[in-house]
Amino acid sequence: MNDDYLWDKTGQPDPEIQQLEQILGTLRYQPKPLVIPRRNYFPWLAIAASLLLALLAGGIWLRVRSHNEAPPQQARIETPKPVQAPQAPRNESALNPPLPPSKRIHKPRSASSVLPKAEREEALMAKEQLMLALRLTTQKLHLVHIKTQHKVG
Amino acid sequence: MYATADMLLTSAQAHAAEQSQEPAIEVVLVRAVLEGDRDGFARLYDLYAPLVHGILLARVPRAEVDDLVQDIFLHAFKKLHTLRDAAAFGPWIAMIARNRAVDFHRRSKETVEINDDLRGSDAHDSRAKEILELIRGLPEAYRETLVLRLVEGMTGPEIAARTGLTAASVRVNLHRGMKLLREQLGFMEGL
Repeated sequence: MNDDYLWDKTGQPDPEIQQLEQILGTLRYQPKPLVIPRRNYFPWLAIAASLLLALLAGGIWLRVRSHNEAPPQQARIETPKPVQAPQAPRNESALNPPLPPSKRIHKPRSASSVLPKAEREEALMAKEQLMLALRLTTQKLHLVHIKTQHKVG
Repeated sequence: MYATADMLLTSAQAHAAEQSQEPAIEVVLVRAVLEGDRDGFARLYDLYAPLVHGILLARVPRAEVDDLVQDIFLHAFKKLHTLRDAAAFGPWIAMIARNRAVDFHRRSKETVEINDDLRGSDAHDSRAKEILELIRGLPEAYRETLVLRLVEGMTGPEIAARTGLTAASVRVNLHRGMKLLREQLGFMEGL
């Protein structure tokens, strides 16, 4: 038996080993590409985006709420007016002309509408920023979703 | 005498230095993969897939081998950071393959290898399967070495380098395994 051929394929070939190599060679490893799955970051991105949105919404809600809280009201002390003697009925339309627009009595509005102009503008700006952040986040999530689908496919 | 010893020492140091200056390809590739180079792992796969294939072929049904090879390399990719010595990638992945083969048999005790029998095959292929079955019947130390040599076409020194076994062990396993296989083949042909 030629031990060298069995060991490192040198020396005189052993016909029996050669035959075995030929027969068993059909079972040899056939190269196949290794598919390494890429990491899927989509769930983490979605969680991060949700947390960010929740934080933004919470912050804005707190801000708006603190602005809407009415300042402590002070009791208004009015001195009673002296009661006038009843007078004869007069033509009211002639005596009570319509008030100028600046002195009209308005119905109480909602809390948001009573904000001072500067604060109202600030709230509107914050709202715009929130909407922009929401739009950006949505677009990014959409892009990530498309990329992930593409890679998986 | 001292001069000879010094010369030997110097020679050994020079050899070690030479080895340290030029790390094995596995070391370079493992380091590259750990730094994020996926192509490096593809090269490791190309280098070591025949070894893993041979180790599995000596132990599990042939129909399961290809899937297991992929699984083992994916596992190795995820756990590569746990490999302490980059030069020991071969012995490490060989051990993973052996353990996976043991797990396979533990989980599927009832499985009978009928897949190969059900498949249509020519005479050459069926002869190969018969001989493979004979090799699988040999003691464990011999069957892996024989499959790597006769099926995967690796030489003894390559088997030693990839599996981490000593060259002497591989040589003995090949010699004794081949002797037993010849006896088995003679027994078969005598029937």
